[in-house]
Parts: sequence; structure tokens; C-alpha cells
Amino acid sequence: MELGVKMIISTEECGYCGACVSVCPHNILELSEMEIIAHEGCEECAFCMVVCPLGAIKRGEK
Amino acid sequence: MKYDIVVVGGRIGGSTASIFASKNGADVLMLEKNQEIGTPVQCAEATSSRTFKTLEMEPSSKYVCSEIKGADVYAPDGTHGHLEGGYAEGFILERKLFDKHLAIEAAKSGADIMVKTMVKGLIRKEGKVCGVVAKHMGRTMEIEADIVIAADGIESRVAQMAGLNTSQTTKSLCSCAQYEMVGLKTDPDYLKFHFGEKIAPKGYAWIFPKGDNVANVGVGVRSNTENAYHFLKKFISNMDATPVELNIGGVPIRGPVEKTYTDGLMVVGDAAGQVEPFTGGGIHITAHCGRVAGEIAAEGIKKEKTTSNFLKKYEKRWKNEIGKDLKDSLKYRKILDKLTDDEINILAKFLKEQDLKSISKMSMLGFVKEYPQFLKLLKDLL
Ligand SMILES: Cc1cc2nc3c(=O)[nH]c(=O)nc-3n(C[C@H](O)[C@H](O)[C@H](O)COP(=O)(O)OP(=O)(O)OC[C@H]3O[C@@H](n4cnc5c(N)ncnc54)[C@H](O)[C@@H]3O)c2cc1C
Ligand code: SF4
Ligand code: SF4
Repeated sequence: MELGVKMIISTEECGYCGACVSVCPHNILELSEMEIIAHEGCEECAFCMVVCPLGAIKRGEK
Repeated sequence: MKYDIVVVGGRIGGSTASIFASKNGADVLMLEKNQEIGTPVQCAEATSSRTFKTLEMEPSSKYVCSEIKGADVYAPDGTHGHLEGGYAEGFILERKLFDKHLAIEAAKSGADIMVKTMVKGLIRKEGKVCGVVAKHMGRTMEIEADIVIAADGIESRVAQMAGLNTSQTTKSLCSCAQYEMVGLKTDPDYLKFHFGEKIAPKGYAWIFPKGDNVANVGVGVRSNTENAYHFLKKFISNMDATPVELNIGGVPIRGPVEKTYTDGLMVVGDAAGQVEPFTGGGIHITAHCGRVAGEIAAEGIKKEKTTSNFLKKYEKRWKNEIGKDLKDSLKYRKILDKLTDDEINILAKFLKEQDLKSISKMSMLGFVKEYPQFLKLLKDLL
């Protein structure tokens, strides 16, 4: 799933812990029971990528 | 639907608040987004007798796996210190069962509970929180309430919706990964902590025994280069044991958020940053603050006072009762953050030679004379 133009979250690698949600400065992430929901407005700061324990969020090469 | 109090989140903070609000006469609904309370576990499951005192419960073998007598702490070079009793004493829980038990207690106290129900928004009238908008299996519903308690954990959005700043940063959030492992030979009575930039940068690795050669083995890190799972795999690479569960999560370690109440809403637990910054322990603190929030909410309902002006009592009480502990813990965390591996090794060797209970001024002075870089640390501590 694409967050911003460059940020990509792998739903296969995600473990639904919510760490990324807590650091998003634009508050665009939301964790439902088994799905990360990304609303519009990602500024590609990559904070979510830094804290993800499983490395499920990556910066794509576009 | 209308309740006196809606509690968002159904684990330690949510159930504790629900228990004490219901016991004090309020009509409570607790909402949990997951279909099963207590899973997935995001915890190393260690706690102290304080948790049970707060909850007015006895530690029961129904949800306590093992009793802990102390801890072994390892500096980066392997220098080892042993802590017996006191602060290091406690229990290892089976959180799945413990959290479920607390929810059962909340229900027995009279609270209603809905699972698989996620709060998506707040109802606000003239700025005051007056309920929640929730989604249950595709169906959206409005639930009115005079007070909302946000106990929605690290992924909290509910308090933010009410205008409180509960967000974390990459520096304030410790990223954790843990395996529950079977067949690990470790002393069943003692926790193990390992420090070091290569083991767990800006955090630590742990082994918490659950009895019967089962243990929680995990790491908490703050690293811009590698993720927690990478360090976990490295830490267990020489262990002859089999994982049966993977737990991950983030621990807020900069102390409580600026403000924990607003008109019609209080925030408790991880969502409010109510975790000991030095250890990352949040169970006993969350239970404490959950209880205070539950009691204040019930009192507010009785007195028909549910605005900021009354709910500020919640913040005043938890600050009075545990605020200093959290501040001290943050101070120690900040000191540890500044130390290099070499400095931790030197400090560990010095402390190992001392009787920690009667550490003398003379020996401290001698130490600082030899290693003047610790002078500032000593000043910070005293
Ligand atoms: C890896 C790890 C190890 C830890 N080890 C320890 C330890 O050994 N000892 C210790 O004391 N502490 C430990 N902690 C900290 C401890 O787990 C937490 O402090 C504690 O669980 C906080 O409880 P809580 O009720 O505030 O939040 P949580 O336990 O996170 O519960 C929040 C609940 O709210 C639900 N929720 C969230 N959003 C919504 C919504 N919108 N609608 C409905 N429901 C929602 C979630 O599904 C969840 O069930 C650890 C944490 C981690 C991550
Ligand atoms: S990159 Fe930044 S703005 Fe985008 S989702 Fe991640 S934390 Fe939010
Ligand atoms: S931090 Fe990583 S594992 Fe956790 S919810 Fe976000 S993407 Fe998933």
C-alpha cells in the first residue's frame, strides 16, 4: 500500500502494532483490527519507517 | 445509545478504569476494536506487586506464570551485576489471560463491553466531548456519553481528536520485538537485562523467564539504521530454543504527555505516555492511572461535573501519587542515553565492587577523581 508518493507499507510484513501511528506528525495513519489505514497527507518524513519494529515500511525508488 | 462513561480500549487501562467507574456507580460501556481482548500481546509481561495492590486483587496462578526474585544485569563487555529483591522483584504474567481476566472483572462490576468495535470519531457539542462514533462490523453507531476515557494504547487517536497532543517521536518511542521461546535454559527466578550499542542501541535486550524453560526474549531499540526485529534475530542467534510467538510494539519513554484531560475526556496508559521511561514498564502505572480516571469519572457523574474544570482532578491526583516516580525514571533514562558503551562498562565495574545499599561518599569521590567524565553524571543524579 502506498502512503505518500515514495513511502510504501508492506501489509504482508506488518504486525499490527501501531508504533507507526503514534509517530506520524500528520496523523494520517490508523490501525484497525488487522489493517493499517493511510489517509491522505503523507509528507514522507519516514518517521513511521524508523520506528517500525519489523521494517514493514520502506522508501520506494520512484 | 447513551452511557455515563464510554471507555475506549479494553486492556489494562480500559478494564481498570471500567472496573473502578462501575464499582462507584457509573453506567459504563467499554469498546475494544479487536475481536479478542488481550491479543495480539505487545508486552514482556513483567510487573510488580504494586499492580495487584492497585487492582485490589491477589496474584493468581490463573494468570501469573512465575515469580521473580531479582535481576541479572549485563554491561556491554559482559560485566555482570546482580540485583536481589526490592525493585527487581515481581511476577511474569500471561497477559492474554490477565487482560481477559480484568475485562471479566469489569463485566462483573457491571460494565457493558463491545468487542470488534472501533472508535472512529468523537461527538462534540460546543467543544465538549459528548460521546463517540464507533464502527462495529461495518455498522457505524453513535454512542453518547458524559465522559470518554481514552485507553487506546500507543496507536491512540482518540485523545488527539479531542485536541490533546499525545503523539510520539522517533526519539521518544522505543521500538520492540520479542519472541516467546521454548527450551531456553535460563534461571527461572531472575530477569536478565543486556545493554550495549551492538545488542540494543538506546535500549536493552531482555530475557524474562515464564517457567518450564519458556521465556520472553526481546529487544527494545531506538535506531535509525536497523529495525528491532534485526536486533532480535541477532540476539537469539546462539540460543538453542524455539519461538512460539512474535510480539512487537512501541513503548513511549519520554514521560507522560503534556495534558491528560479536556472537556469530557481523560486519557490513560500508553496513550498518555504513562510508562516508566527507564524500564519501559507500563503495566503498574497504567493500572494506577486507569483506577484514578475511573474513580474521578464516577465522581464527576454523581456530581454532574464533567468538564475540564472537574476532570483536572484526575491529572492532579496521578501527578501527586506517581508523578515523581515517573520524573526520576526519566532522569535516569536521560543519563543512561548519554553514556557510551565504555562508560557503562567502567560504571558497571565500579558498582560491582560496592555494596549498593551503603555506597560511601569516599568511594564515589575516588571514582570521580579517576574518571572525571562522570562528574556531571554524579551532579545530575544528586
Ligand atoms: C514489547 C513490549 C514489552 C513491554 N514489556 C512490559 C513489561 O514487561 N512490563 C510492563 O509493565 N510493561 C511493559 N510494556 C508496556 C505495557 O505493555 C503497556 O504500558 C500497557 O500494555 C499499556 O496498557 P494500555 O491499556 O494503556 O494500552 P494497550 O495495552 O495498548 O491497550 C490498548 C487497547 O485499545 C484498543 N484500541 C486502540 N484503538 C482503539 C479504538 N479506536 N477503538 C477501540 N479500541 C481501540 C487496542 O486494540 C488495545 O486492545 C511493554 C510494551 C511493549 C510494546
Ligand atoms: S512518512 Fe511521515 S507523514 Fe508519511 S505516513 Fe510516515 S510518518 Fe506519516
Ligand atoms: S509499525 Fe510496522 S508493524 Fe507496526 S503497525 Fe506500523 S507498519 Fe505495521
